[in-house]
Amino acid sequence: MCGIVGYIGRRDATPILIQGLKRLEYRGYDSFGIATVGSAIEVYKKTGRISEGEAGAADLHGCTGIGHTRWATHGEPNDINAHPHTDCGEGIAVVHNGVIENYSELKRQLQGRGHTFRSETDTEVISHLIEENYDGDLLAAVNATLPLLEGSYAILAIAGETQQIVAARDASPLVLGVGDAEVFAASDMTPLLEYTERVIFLEDGDVADITPDHYTIYHDGQTVERPIELINWCVEDTRKGGFAHYMLKEIYEQPQSFYETIRAGINDRVRQMVMEAGEITLVACGTSYHTALAFKYLAESLCSIPVRVELGSEFKYFTPPLRGLVIAVSQSGETADTIAALKMAKSRNCPTLAITNMQGSTVTRIADETLLMRAGLEIGVAATKSYTAQLAALMQIVNLRCEGAFDDILSHAHLAIGDILLQDVREAVALCSKAEHVFFVGRGPFYPVSMEGALKMKEISYVHAEGYAAGELKHGPFALLTGETPVVAVCTPGPTYGVMASNIKEMKARKAPVIALGVAGDTELAEIVDIFIPIPNTHLLVQVLTASVALQLLAYHTACALQRDVDKPRNLAKSVTVE
Amino acid sequence: MQAVILAAGEGSRLRPLTRSKPKAMLPVANRPLIEYVIDALLENGIRDIVVVVGYRKEDVIRHLNKLDAPIQVVVQERQLGTADALRAAESEITDDFLVLPGDNYINAESIARIRKEQNAMLVAEHPNPSNFGVVVIRNGLVREIIEKPEDAPTFTVSTGIYSFKPDVFSYLQTNEIPDALSAMIASGRRIRAIPADDWQDAVYPWDLLKLNSRMLKGITPEIAGTVDASVIRRGTVHIGTGTTVGPNTVIYGPVTIGSNCNIGPNCVIMPDTSIGDRVVLEPFTYVADSLVMSDVTIGSHSRIVSAVFGQGCILADHTTTYPSASFIEVGGRVQKEEFGAVLGDGVRAAPFTTFKNCIAGNRVTIEGGKTVVGLIEDGTRVM
Repeated sequence: MCGIVGYIGRRDATPILIQGLKRLEYRGYDSFGIATVGSAIEVYKKTGRISEGEAGAADLHGCTGIGHTRWATHGEPNDINAHPHTDCGEGIAVVHNGVIENYSELKRQLQGRGHTFRSETDTEVISHLIEENYDGDLLAAVNATLPLLEGSYAILAIAGETQQIVAARDASPLVLGVGDAEVFAASDMTPLLEYTERVIFLEDGDVADITPDHYTIYHDGQTVERPIELINWCVEDTRKGGFAHYMLKEIYEQPQSFYETIRAGINDRVRQMVMEAGEITLVACGTSYHTALAFKYLAESLCSIPVRVELGSEFKYFTPPLRGLVIAVSQSGETADTIAALKMAKSRNCPTLAITNMQGSTVTRIADETLLMRAGLEIGVAATKSYTAQLAALMQIVNLRCEGAFDDILSHAHLAIGDILLQDVREAVALCSKAEHVFFVGRGPFYPVSMEGALKMKEISYVHAEGYAAGELKHGPFALLTGETPVVAVCTPGPTYGVMASNIKEMKARKAPVIALGVAGDTELAEIVDIFIPIPNTHLLVQVLTASVALQLLAYHTACALQRDVDKPRNLAKSVTVE
Repeated sequence: MQAVILAAGEGSRLRPLTRSKPKAMLPVANRPLIEYVIDALLENGIRDIVVVVGYRKEDVIRHLNKLDAPIQVVVQERQLGTADALRAAESEITDDFLVLPGDNYINAESIARIRKEQNAMLVAEHPNPSNFGVVVIRNGLVREIIEKPEDAPTFTVSTGIYSFKPDVFSYLQTNEIPDALSAMIASGRRIRAIPADDWQDAVYPWDLLKLNSRMLKGITPEIAGTVDASVIRRGTVHIGTGTTVGPNTVIYGPVTIGSNCNIGPNCVIMPDTSIGDRVVLEPFTYVADSLVMSDVTIGSHSRIVSAVFGQGCILADHTTTYPSASFIEVGGRVQKEEFGAVLGDGVRAAPFTTFKNCIAGNRVTIEGGKTVVGLIEDGTRVM
């Protein structure tokens, strides 16, 4: 769950690598490092954020280099465990994303043969293995090393004084960017967008031999051609511009990303797959799990398809009996648990559909079909626009099964999202930023909306927050309610309005301050609660969106009030590429 | 040379159109006003641009991020006045600089006239000087600035465009720039008055129509999207990507149509019309001399003339806007101006609604075949 980047060309490699690592920082930011081919291999590595330590890398020379930003799995984050890792003679440097499962065994063998290890990482075995096999031909040395490795990897290796990078992937993502007499490599395409729009998605088992003018891709020892794909994302996505945080920028991009996803529609093959499904199982993690749950409520109530939602991390080991369509939902398309679950579903001969934001990502290769969401690049660790774009994709499936009954509602939903962005949530922020615990409650589709609201709150503001189905509060959590635990309740017109309103009164009776999200003009509700946040009075589908966005704003502004590092919350990384 | 563009103010006299965006972001010929100002600066080689944002700042910032020019953004927390806004940019200023309002049109030639000056202001003639700072000039130098006088001594007004040296910050005692100019004049500084070549402001919503027709003269012809072979086009017409224009539609330029719209069949779009993104014009609808913002739907058999429609209006079939003149009170001033309709965001009208010299606020709903006249408050339901 790290990010790797490589550059080979005519330019000075260091600034490009540093810039690329900054783009990949969302994958991990415990420590970082780069290595270049100068007069010999030159290495610089450092604990902490890239922006704090990048100055030290300025003395590195050379037009060929590799870099790494780390989210520690093996060995604590410190300068020594940071990548790149070199061999005994410091003639070879390697960066690696993934986990080498048999590393302790390999390490013992290598130590037995006299190799000296400096770090506690699994990666260091790779550089020593390459060293053993190296006699001036890096490609051959890497090829000899790979069969010994068990686990997942995306590797970039450089050696001695040769202007060459050897790249290899198996079960971890790796993308090449093809420029003009220069080649880039990275864990995903985000660092490449500034330099080229032509990318190659490597496949598992591929090894690429890269020089400034040329690259050759091998698979099982044979030369293979991989298609160059054009990426139409713009650099604008990578710019924070005048926004204080990427997250805020991405919150405000939601009307557009939602609309784009709706507009892109569903292709005929996916359409057929959805129409034929007798039941649907969704597999997802984190925020995607919440969108999947919201889909369950909407699809079951509006178009009566049975829907089951499973956590990716549980699914692999406790696979339920499967029937019907399996949909994997993952923003990055690289979530390890979701990928494993998808493979499992395939092995059971279920039709599989991936819903992802990343063209060419691993889930798109495994699933039979892909429904791409059009959120554009999301950099903030807390998912915002990818959440609403996922809902857009899933709501289209609901709409499809309802024979287009919601066409008009979905094509205008972005306006309601735009409206809720004008909402002032300062009063509610003042309440939440003083609290130690916040409860989020709702019923029906607003239950997952509440869970997502709570997730946003805890992940970026570090205020303890829990989302509950409103009726469940009385089965235990009620004991925690005091005058200092705000409850955020979503209460919109519909069959649950009455019972929700009496739930709110019960909470008020325990002196808990209540922040209610209700439809604009609901004065009755506004009177019984402490703070009323109006959302546009529209269709249920749109209320799910606007309520979610209001809760994003609440979490964001609470985190800002508490002076948290919103874009890089502690201990988290954007895509979880380890189990 | 640096430039500071002031884009923090709401432009409250343009309500209801400024609900979701500041005046500087109002689209004219499908581009926000501020973009014309930035263009004029870039044409003069001024690339070091600071934009002061405040009211609905996210909308401005998002747009600036899309531009090629690297633009520095600073935030004015409370909209107290132009001098206060300028103070927000003080830390970014290292050189002589221009100050420009982000919500007026100015051409490149005007900026060329002032950019070489130190301590100068651009002035222009205006038929209604009482809405502006009136400037008294002697021997090419500013003698006095009278803010929004009842009886203006001359027709010469300030365009709000100045050329300053960094030491101007020591004169910013109040929250308004004209006060600082008065202080500079009082202390013996010479401030040159330079006539602008082409400058236009939109004070009231209906002024946008004039500005729109002015800006449409500068559009480039381009036909993206899907245009049926039977469509008749004349003059300069711009049609964005993803837009479909159905059979037998007639478009007489200058007309600009945004992306992902659905026009026709059998619509007529006459000159001086801008149509935003994702707009639907149902069959047999006629639009002339109008500014239609994004996400608007206009039903069949409608006749839309001299109208400004805010984002997301949904107007059913047989909607008519009927230009006429009556007295309307806006911003404490009674005005008489001829136009058809100004609708805020998200106005909904039932079939057979006629708007006659009407300003309808945001989210106004009009039910069943009414003729509506005059000013209607936000959120009103007309039954």
